[in-house]
Amino acid sequence: MAQDLMDRELDVLDKERVAPVETLRRSDEALRLPAVAPPTALPLEPPLVPQVGEQTRAVGLRAQRPDSRNHGLGLTRYIDDIALPGMLFAKIKRAGIASARIKRIDTSRAEAMPGVCAVLVGSEIPVNSFGPSLQDQPLLAHPIVRHAGDGVAAVAAVTEQIAQAAIDAITVEYEPLPGVYDALEALKPESYKVHGGDTNVYASKVIKRGDVEAGFAQAYRIYEGRYYTPGIEHAPMEPFTSIADWDANGRLTIHASIGRITLARCDLARTLAIPISRIRVIGTVVGGNFGGKNEIRHEPVLALLAKKAGRPVKGRFNRVEEFVASTIRHAFHMDYKTGVTKDGRLIARQVRMVLDGGAYCSFSETTLGKACILSTGPYEIPNSLAEGYVVYTNKTTAGSMRGFGAPQVCFAYESQMDEIARDLGIDPVEIRLRNMFREGSMSSTGQVLHSVKVKESLENAVKKFGWEVQS
Amino acid sequence: MKRRGRGLASMWYPVGFTVAANPSGAVVKVNEDGTAVVLTGTVETGQGALGVLSQIAAEALGIAPNDIHIVSGDTDTCPMDTGAIASRTTYITGNAIAAAAAMARDTLFEVAAGMLGVKASQLEAKDHKIQVKGFPARNVPIADVALRAHIVNGTPPIGSATWNPPTVPLDPETGQGKPFGTYVYATQIAEVDVDDETGEVEVLRVTASHDCGTAINPMLVEGQIEGGVFMGLGFAVQEEILFDKQGKQINCNLTNYIMPTTLDMPAVECDIVDSYDETGPFGAKAVGEPSLVPTAAAICNAIYDAVGVRIMSLPATAEKVLAGIKAKRAAEQKQIPA
Repeated sequence: MAQDLMDRELDVLDKERVAPVETLRRSDEALRLPAVAPPTALPLEPPLVPQVGEQTRAVGLRAQRPDSRNHGLGLTRYIDDIALPGMLFAKIKRAGIASARIKRIDTSRAEAMPGVCAVLVGSEIPVNSFGPSLQDQPLLAHPIVRHAGDGVAAVAAVTEQIAQAAIDAITVEYEPLPGVYDALEALKPESYKVHGGDTNVYASKVIKRGDVEAGFAQAYRIYEGRYYTPGIEHAPMEPFTSIADWDANGRLTIHASIGRITLARCDLARTLAIPISRIRVIGTVVGGNFGGKNEIRHEPVLALLAKKAGRPVKGRFNRVEEFVASTIRHAFHMDYKTGVTKDGRLIARQVRMVLDGGAYCSFSETTLGKACILSTGPYEIPNSLAEGYVVYTNKTTAGSMRGFGAPQVCFAYESQMDEIARDLGIDPVEIRLRNMFREGSMSSTGQVLHSVKVKESLENAVKKFGWEVQS
Repeated sequence: MKRRGRGLASMWYPVGFTVAANPSGAVVKVNEDGTAVVLTGTVETGQGALGVLSQIAAEALGIAPNDIHIVSGDTDTCPMDTGAIASRTTYITGNAIAAAAAMARDTLFEVAAGMLGVKASQLEAKDHKIQVKGFPARNVPIADVALRAHIVNGTPPIGSATWNPPTVPLDPETGQGKPFGTYVYATQIAEVDVDDETGEVEVLRVTASHDCGTAINPMLVEGQIEGGVFMGLGFAVQEEILFDKQGKQINCNLTNYIMPTTLDMPAVECDIVDSYDETGPFGAKAVGEPSLVPTAAAICNAIYDAVGVRIMSLPATAEKVLAGIKAKRAAEQKQIPA
């Protein structure tokens, strides 16, 4: 009888199994184990024993990457493949309102939910601010919310679903505040000040060489244009994910998909107010970075939840959080004014740029600095003046992203170069050759340049593309 | 009808941080059999950095890249590294590893000098041997030297080094100074088809010629260039985060944030400029970020070449291009012939 019941149960189980029945082994059925694919040995190469005299070209070799076999066989362990015993899952409640004061947070319903192990709000964080240059960003907003993606509370629970339900059960009462949602508006004296004070400008830069006015006075023609590039998302395949784990000595291990482990360790020490020696950061193989994973994001929150719950905690952003609660590329407003001689030589360039920094500083200073320095393009311009400002707005924080301001200014200076070439009737290749840096040229900051290969890159590209230069 | 155009853009890009210190440390340990372990605090972010760093260590030690094992990304075991940012890994971490490997190699030379009866300064490491410069037949296998160093001489070959690019701070008034150790250069040319009835832009091919100093691994350089063109393509014609009037993102998911797929990818013709930078490891500089910098400008210049519309704000969506075409036609119709 019992055997019959078991057989019937196995039948049901069999029907529910995804894998074809024939792939099952008899022993699995007897043990009522889930279906497994037939075992396959790893196709490992025989061990490579170094041979004396074997030619060892290394530099310049199209060598196989050390991680390619693991990637190819699906054996790479990304952060989300890591699970620690007893691990909990965290979720962060996002403000959903861009500018507000938190009047009250009620977490009681969430705390009472079965499966919820810890709840955290901003006021419980020892040092609730971080940032690579200005420490102006809270880990969980308290009491001011400065953009819609700001976190306001966090939960750790036995499953991600319970954590999400608990987050939904937290109620936050907001007092809406005025806001500013445009970089050029934010520059105006009467604009709402995102961080108080008397201005939204939090970094500026000047790069000045020669006398730009004298240059314009000598110019045969002057070209002016206003260029704009929007904020864009890094969109890595792997969203932010980290695990926090304490030992009994109060030593914290953070597993994180992050590009800068030493900076992360400093930020963790500062925000948690514990010595650096008590923190270990293990950087896992990063599943897409592009500048978006250069600083901590939720790691101290996970650490505090793990401490409260006494269990390891994993937090992973969903795709929407990846957009609204991580950083994005700075939107740039750029005014370019360039004076040229009749034969197409650039003799003066004035650039004024305003960067939309969003709610917090992040890597804005670096982005602004690089953009101003690079704004002349790879050209010798005797008189140049670049002025840049980055402003707070109540929008998603702009931070580091592949290129740090260079793609934005390149779009402007190369679009204008094309316009100048067409207007003067000079081939776009030829006008660039007349102006490009050479070995020993001085850059916009007066740096003497070495290993300058811009002309070679142009000549190679022209040849490879099949561009016939009209002279 | 589809109109074809071509456009080009050149760029320069610095390697490492702007003035600020951004050091890398490295430890290189040669094992008893002549293979080696490298410790670095950087992290593999998918670009193949650990492969490139293995090749740099292998070159310095005269062994093969797969004789190297790299331990990375752990603050407990690895020396400080500023990390995978600012296109700095090959140049700065690479310099630190090359110097650490040279230090370990010097220990091997001291041991081999006694075995070969020459001065350490006369030796070189190549093809898994320590050999006398100019007389490669006088050599000892590197494995014999390494073992001897460990168990006879008692001098395990371990090297450690740090490197930080030399810079001069910028004058706060004028911005004059030496903010970076070195720069890379590139030119990209794009060919596009623009449909003058819909405004749709199709990027057909991109020729990308990049100076990265010595290409430590040309395959990985090409990988970076192709990835950069992909990102530049999205920046040029598709990607934009839209906000509503209250500062909330509208298109914050992959269903409505439009970015390129493989179907949008143009043919990419890569060229690596013959280049050597004496300040980089074995002449290498960088390629990571620069690969996307000129793409959008090249594509927009090609759009102008095709239909005469100057794109002043990115992205060059079909709507924007079509509006430009219509405005241009209207302006032309208004002109009264002389």
